[in-house]
Amino acid sequence: MISISKLLCDLDAEGDGLRYDAAEGSEKPQITEKKQRRPVVVWNTTRRCNLYCSHCYAGADLDPASGEFTTAEGKAFLDQLADYGAPVVLFSGGEPLVRDDLVELVSYAADQGLRPVLSSNGTLITHEKAAALRDAGLQYAGISVDGLPERNDQFRGEDGAFDAAVRGIENCLEVGLKTGLRYTITEANAPDLEGVVDLLAEKGLDRFCFYHLDYGGRGAEIVDADLTPQEKREAVRRVADMTLEYHDRGEEIETLLVGNYADAAFLVEYAREEFGEAKAQAVYDYLERNGGDPTGERIADVDYQGNVHLTQFWQGYSLGNVRDRPFGEIWEDESNPLLEALRNREEHLKGKCADCQYQSICRGASRLRALAATGDLFEPDPQCYLTDDEVFGTEAGSMVGGAAD
Amino acid sequence: MVENARRSLVESDERGNPTPQWEVFVRAEAADPMRHVGSVAAASATEAHEHASRLFGWDAADVWLCPAEAVERYSTRGLATDTEGEESRVNERADGNPEVQDA
Repeated sequence: MISISKLLCDLDAEGDGLRYDAAEGSEKPQITEKKQRRPVVVWNTTRRCNLYCSHCYAGADLDPASGEFTTAEGKAFLDQLADYGAPVVLFSGGEPLVRDDLVELVSYAADQGLRPVLSSNGTLITHEKAAALRDAGLQYAGISVDGLPERNDQFRGEDGAFDAAVRGIENCLEVGLKTGLRYTITEANAPDLEGVVDLLAEKGLDRFCFYHLDYGGRGAEIVDADLTPQEKREAVRRVADMTLEYHDRGEEIETLLVGNYADAAFLVEYAREEFGEAKAQAVYDYLERNGGDPTGERIADVDYQGNVHLTQFWQGYSLGNVRDRPFGEIWEDESNPLLEALRNREEHLKGKCADCQYQSICRGASRLRALAATGDLFEPDPQCYLTDDEVFGTEAGSMVGGAAD
Repeated sequence: MVENARRSLVESDERGNPTPQWEVFVRAEAADPMRHVGSVAAASATEAHEHASRLFGWDAADVWLCPAEAVERYSTRGLATDTEGEESRVNERADGNPEVQDA
């Protein structure tokens, strides 16, 4: 995740410590000089979902799946994460609210010292449920809205899904739960970007997560629906422009970019354009501490059957299963050649990534998209939208030799 | 005298997410030991071989693939073993209706 609001507007937020320096006033242990060591763990608590979204990375379904954790197994798994020192567990799915023990599991996670957060379609979050989750210790709810009503409902495969999600957002806000909106951009919903951000401001949400499409799960089947790299660049520019406009008006919306670390390089260039060289250097320094694409390092995923994945989008390959071996053992086992290669990817990146001046803040972006598009794990990400001048630093203002030293 | 390890059978039926999982074993060089390197999701053994080759290199000396549910697992670790018979608690309200019922 890349926080535009932090980088460009100096807006601090809880969770920044996992990416940059400490959020001001935060009591959470923060990481300043050292790179985040333990991963945020996404837990797909169930495959079952009440919606059927065309881009679902988890391949969620209306029907239940075999092999999902019992409540006791879920708690034992949370013990594994706490023992290992994972800072955050993200309850995801499917739709996590279809589990009737969700509140119990969130409460258990909080008791073990994990920071529990939620990823939901929002449609099942009643006022009562939102209050129960808050009381259980939930720290944040991210609700997916992928466009204005017509496009969102088409995307999500259900009429009324938009209105239900908005009611879920309102319920979260009413009980005082920190709530954000997640939006995955595709060719189909790109025209709704501004409308979705306006909705966020109108409802009083203070966090917006802009997701790039990754090519896993059903997302792999809609690669053709992704924007072109140039269109993606323009969309990211619109998000950055909107962030500045909102902050100029005094609305402190936290804006995050997720899923394409070409955005890191773009933001350095954007900062130079808008604010000058000193700001560009400061942005670069933050992003270098952030460490680039987190696959296999600062993000992990465990699916509903216990398979451990390199990110939540990379469901086609598993490092191991937590029913066989504790999570920490699996994650630390660098005898796995793929894990080892990804953690030392600078030695393997090919093409323009090998020589890119922004390699240390991007690290090749999505290896999953590269694999899906080229069949080669270390070819460039097909969604890199940087120009050759930006990649090779032939223009004035090159970062190489400055920030890297 | 060495005490026997207390291993328990790990439930492994119908592993797949939702595509069938194949456990992958790779011998990188001829003289190397065979190594378990995780599992891939694939509809067939041929597809699993291609998938594994993209991840672990086409030049490995040997690649073995085994349907994940065919592997009998006994482990001293893993999740709690005293949960037999307990059902996963997925709420029956997930019937495709996105209506939010406010209390």
